[in-house]
Amino acid sequence: MLDLIIVGGGPGGVAAGIYAARKKIKTLLIAESFGGQSLVSADIQNWIGTKSISGLGLAQNLEEHLRTQPDIEILDGNLVSGVQKTDGAFKVQTKNGKSFETKTILVCSGSFRRRLGVPGEDRLDGKGVVWCSTCDAPLFGGKIVAVVGAGNAGLEAVRDSLAYATKVYLLNRTDKIRGDAVTLEEIKKNPKVEVIYWAETKEILGDQFVSGLKYLDKQTNQEKELKADGVFIEIGSVPNVEFLGDLVQKSQFNEIIVDHKTQKTSQEGIWAAGDVTDQVYRQNNISAGDAVKAVLNLYDYLGKNNK
Amino acid sequence: MKKVLIYSTPTCVYCKMAKDFFKKNNIEYQDFNVAEDEEAREEMVQKSHQLGVPVIDIEGDIFVGFNRPEMEKALGLK
Repeated sequence: MLDLIIVGGGPGGVAAGIYAARKKIKTLLIAESFGGQSLVSADIQNWIGTKSISGLGLAQNLEEHLRTQPDIEILDGNLVSGVQKTDGAFKVQTKNGKSFETKTILVCSGSFRRRLGVPGEDRLDGKGVVWCSTCDAPLFGGKIVAVVGAGNAGLEAVRDSLAYATKVYLLNRTDKIRGDAVTLEEIKKNPKVEVIYWAETKEILGDQFVSGLKYLDKQTNQEKELKADGVFIEIGSVPNVEFLGDLVQKSQFNEIIVDHKTQKTSQEGIWAAGDVTDQVYRQNNISAGDAVKAVLNLYDYLGKNNK
Repeated sequence: MKKVLIYSTPTCVYCKMAKDFFKKNNIEYQDFNVAEDEEAREEMVQKSHQLGVPVIDIEGDIFVGFNRPEMEKALGLK
């Protein structure tokens, strides 16, 4: 029987792993990979203590720091697929068919990319529908790109594309852009950029590969089409909570509701931290801090319950 | 040793992870930068029927993206 299973290998999971190991809590960390969502960032300039680091560099540092801890078990290349409550403990199953028993769980599973849910999105995935602009923008040299979503990720996708594409559309559902003003001003200066407001994407068009998209102009209520070879979708994220079933209470956005003082969930024995929770600001530093808070709190809990 | 080709872009972190993985395991590979090499880009699309990178070709077996356990299996490392 384990004392703790940590789910996830982002900044939260790794911070928790290091603290748990140093407290000699009998811990297993299960993660598909390390680094979390900023893995694909070209340059991170706000990871405290480090002026500038790539997402991959941060991921490697996190993994290395975790692996230097002598007192932790790590199962990577795997995913938690289910959790059941047993008598005073939990049974955790993985996608590769392994099963573990533990007294407590700390969920740092983060979130995955929100999809549009429109026709053409699945069929043309990888065929012009792009989820990693830093990876795939160079493939659209001399082509037309449409970016859906104008948060920071959307604005960065526009910036990534500008080095290659001949024309970049930015589609936003309202007339208010959520992304940072500095980036917006920068991309608006480029004559290749055309911002389309009040645009709700309805369909991604194309036969073998993307040829364009259809959107509803919400001001005129007219359906319009534009030509594009690539559609980059950047419309936020949804928490990775499916494996928990109904064990914990969730918000209307499917985030795990936690007590922000302790990171406890509604289920005794389960804590959560980072982007999977109803914490408002999605930041590496915050995920790490919240996860540390969770470990310190569950350490007290284990101390009381192990007596 | 199996012949390994990788189609990549310089900015793609999964491509870098794949190449780091090959180096660590002493796997020789040929790298095509499809951001610049248009002929290789065409070849990649023909092989994988899609546009995302990386595309890895292990003696005709085509893999889209980098999945470490899958690669270990394909290369007989584990």
